Amino acid sequence: MSAMRVDAKVVMLGKESVGKTSLVERYVHHRFLVGPYQNTIGAAFVAKPIQVGDKVITLGIWDTAGSERYEAMSRIYYRGARAAIVCYDLTDSSSFQRARFWVKELQNCEEHCKIYLCGTKNDMIEADRSLRQIDYHDAQDFAEEIGAQHFETSSKSGNNVDELFHKVAEDYNNNAFQYMTAEDTGVDLGQKKDSYFYSCCHN
Amino acid sequence: MDGEGQRAAASWENGTLAPVDRLRSERADSPTPGLVEGTEPGAGQKSAMFVHAQSFEDLTAEAEEEARRETELDKSGECADDLKALEEQHSNDVSSEARTKEEDVSSEAWRSHRKHVFVLSEAGKPIYTRYGTEEALSSTMGVMMALVSFVEAEKNIIRSIHADGCKVVFLTKSPLVLVGVSRTCQSDKELLRELQYIYYQIVSLLTLTQLNHIFQHKQNYDLRRLLAGSEYLTDNLLHRLDRDPGLLLSAVTCLPLPSSSRDVVSSSLQAAKSKSLVFSILLAGDRLVTLVRKKDQFLHHIDLHLVFNLVGSSSSFREGEGWTPICLPKFNTAGFFHAHISYLEPASELCLILVSTDREDFFNMSDCKKRFLERLSKRTAYTALKEALKCPSYSVAQVGIPELRHFLYKSKSSGLYTSPEFPEVYQSDEEQERLMGLYQDLHSCLHHPTRPLRSFYRCSESENLLAWVTSGFELYLCFSPLGTKALAVSAVTKLLKWIRKEEDRLFILSPLTY
Repeated sequence: MSAMRVDAKVVMLGKESVGKTSLVERYVHHRFLVGPYQNTIGAAFVAKPIQVGDKVITLGIWDTAGSERYEAMSRIYYRGARAAIVCYDLTDSSSFQRARFWVKELQNCEEHCKIYLCGTKNDMIEADRSLRQIDYHDAQDFAEEIGAQHFETSSKSGNNVDELFHKVAEDYNNNAFQYMTAEDTGVDLGQKKDSYFYSCCHN
Repeated sequence: MDGEGQRAAASWENGTLAPVDRLRSERADSPTPGLVEGTEPGAGQKSAMFVHAQSFEDLTAEAEEEARRETELDKSGECADDLKALEEQHSNDVSSEARTKEEDVSSEAWRSHRKHVFVLSEAGKPIYTRYGTEEALSSTMGVMMALVSFVEAEKNIIRSIHADGCKVVFLTKSPLVLVGVSRTCQSDKELLRELQYIYYQIVSLLTLTQLNHIFQHKQNYDLRRLLAGSEYLTDNLLHRLDRDPGLLLSAVTCLPLPSSSRDVVSSSLQAAKSKSLVFSILLAGDRLVTLVRKKDQFLHHIDLHLVFNLVGSSSSFREGEGWTPICLPKFNTAGFFHAHISYLEPASELCLILVSTDREDFFNMSDCKKRFLERLSKRTAYTALKEALKCPSYSVAQVGIPELRHFLYKSKSSGLYTSPEFPEVYQSDEEQERLMGLYQDLHSCLHHPTRPLRSFYRCSESENLLAWVTSGFELYLCFSPLGTKALAVSAVTKLLKWIRKEEDRLFILSPLTY
């Protein structure tokens, strides 16, 4: 599976038990596993090709563990990521605080990473509206403030899940060209040499 | 070679256990077992895979040293009162917040569990309890810590309390304190060994360095924050300690596989190497298929059991490829390895674990796995391996000793053991645990700290048992209650011959290094 060329690194972040693994499971394997909660250990990687227009883009999805124990490791998972899906549980306000933490972390360390804010377990809200602890508009406002896309999904029903990942791939496809050119100039050896001498002369 | 064989046979029949002068390379072709370490059935031909340790002693050596240093402490009278206080504490401790799924710690059911395990910090803060919630037990654990400190204040170490059919065993591993409360007939030493495992389990998640660092900075830190979501690993390990002969014997069992196939699997794994790769481990459920290691680097069986527990307890590696930091405490308590964990095929039982020193090396490891699988899937050995998965064990009837019901055989030099599946009479969980309990008893008699035994025969209503330990192997046999002692003794020779005949299939005789 990993033999595939990976175009875009996507990282799942969020408090434990918000449903990051379920989201990946739904998107990659089209299923929702019922059963006792099992926390992710470390992180899990899966590559998934997705059709965008006439191109096939392979997303390399890193499903990270939410436990604080692995926080020190998290940087290796989001470093160089083109997209981060920051998840929070719509029925758990503390998970939104944790989402804010991850957003801040990404803003500080990965400026090229596009953020997708994702409220999970929407099916529970649909069954009982009183369970909602995160107002849709509050989350929407926060998303706008940080320049993120905002989704509310249900891995159980599959609602909005494909749309979320499709948007990730689409955005990657639209931005890839600009990003690549920027990168190219960044590693242009001639230029680096020049700037090196330039800085030398001025020291 | 014939002469060698006879010599070995003679020494066996005479019951002399004096070592026979023989190099490991001059392995006898004769089926008669050598009694010398390194020539017993199942001994590896070149080198051992594991740290060569008198494994069981290894686990308890520290505790014994302490015992030697400390004068024996007999506080049973005094402590019985303390224990009573502790129990009263339980009954008063009614937590209104107890989660519905969790047990009420004031209930009779909670108290009557066979074995409790508690982990607390030196500040007396609860870290783990096997049953009930930690919150509900905070005052109980406070009492436990008070007992530890009280004895410590007089420059002593509290080791155990025996009262009312109940044993309370303490293990102080700064910055943690582990307490076991048992109603089983296990010895203190056995219970301590189990607590050690739990301690290593926690260290494998955090490293000792991190653990020390945390408590140096904040003595009353709530460690449950960092261990969140790992409780089931400890629960499972405790379950294994009750059921898995490997943890008792400090050994690992292998998937029975023709040696020709195993060698192909091993060499395919050997070929898929990488600079940072230290261990490649292929598992089939709880059984080792093969293990390839870096030259001069050995894996300790405790570390391997922790890896088994991690993989076996979690379904999270089923999808995609797992990448997780793991500390192998017997290798090094200070740092993390990084393990690439994945199943060879989605529904397969075959799980590959690649242990790397570099946390950035995921894609390299992923590539190693790919290369291994590409190479292996072209060979017929892969088909043989998949075929072998269908019968991961064997019936004791194959040995051809009518009264023999079950046995455990450990080759000391290779650290591997073999055992048939449980027969009809031990099909229920309770019966299996009872048999394991009997083996545990024999094991503690053989490994008694002051009066160890070489052999031990025990008759009971439901079975007769024989245990035998030499410098080369450990053997535990379970016979029907109709068997006799003479029959049991003759069965040993017959069984060892059978194991010698089957050793190619049951053991890993030629472990590889990169």
